[in-house]
Amino acid sequence: MTKKMILLVMILLVASPMLFAQSADVAAQTKAWASIGGGLAMAIASGLCGLGQGKAVSGATEAMARNPGAIGAIRIMLILGLALIESLALYTLVIVLIK
Amino acid sequence: MPETELWITKLFNDYLAGLGNSFLGLVGMHAEARPWANFITMQILVAAIIIILAAALRARLSFDRPGKLQHIFELIYEFVGGQAEDQMGHAGTKYVAYFATIFIFILIANLIGIIPGFESPTMNPSVPAGCAIATFLYYNMVGLRSNGPVKYSAHFAGPVWWLAPLMIPIEIVSHLARPLSLTIRLYANMFAGEKLTMVFISLTYFLIPAAFMGLHVFVALLQAYIFLLLTMIYVAGAMAQDH
Repeated sequence: MTKKMILLVMILLVASPMLFAQSADVAAQTKAWASIGGGLAMAIASGLCGLGQGKAVSGATEAMARNPGAIGAIRIMLILGLALIESLALYTLVIVLIK
Repeated sequence: MPETELWITKLFNDYLAGLGNSFLGLVGMHAEARPWANFITMQILVAAIIIILAAALRARLSFDRPGKLQHIFELIYEFVGGQAEDQMGHAGTKYVAYFATIFIFILIANLIGIIPGFESPTMNPSVPAGCAIATFLYYNMVGLRSNGPVKYSAHFAGPVWWLAPLMIPIEIVSHLARPLSLTIRLYANMFAGEKLTMVFISLTYFLIPAAFMGLHVFVALLQAYIFLLLTMIYVAGAMAQDH
């Protein structure tokens, strides 16, 4: 495992001058990297947001199953929690859209 | 993507450009050729719709034989009043006026974008920012008025007094983050919903963009409700210093 990691780092080190060499139009390159970065950021944000919301919903449904009397209160908390978690992914979207 | 003018904005710009430029002059901005923006005229339209509905309701209020409009507004009032009572107990009925106003405004502003020919004013970042700043000022005012300025500022210090130098910056930052998060949540949801529908209309046809538009309607309703809920939670938190 560590040998593979060392090999990977070596390949990255050797290949990095080729990756970072600027071609003639700097603006188009920067835009390309910005798009890639934006897509990656949005993917990470949405993935983690999905995990968080999944945990929230699972907790809420389990609580509702255990205690059917509290369904109203749990429902309000669930909606609020989902919207707050969603807004974290939306902050990332706003940053991506600005750039 | 350049902003295309709606027909309302075109009307405003053609006939009332002088009025718009005088408003710009009031705040020190220089005059432009077509001063009215889409979101300003759409906001005025939403406000006009609400005022006309309320005026029509007031003319028809009746105790024995309520009409349809009265039923609808009673539903809205009970909904908002019930939520306020959940959050704040009996003291909540004083503030239902502001909550219902902001809920109905954001609801109609979100939903009016679905109709072709109109655009949601909440798609522009200024409009949610205005609502969020109004809410921020309102809950601080409620806290100051119900607890007095000394007691209200004292709650920033946290539960124990020797944690105060740590708690005060944290509390101030978290209080300042509230209007920011309210703004961005509402703006990003509406903006992303519209952009998503546009993208899918350009990609495929008929039923799939309609599904995303349906999602946008659901998100519009949900975001109005979330704004209401968070406003009530902030007001409840500002009020709750005595118990």
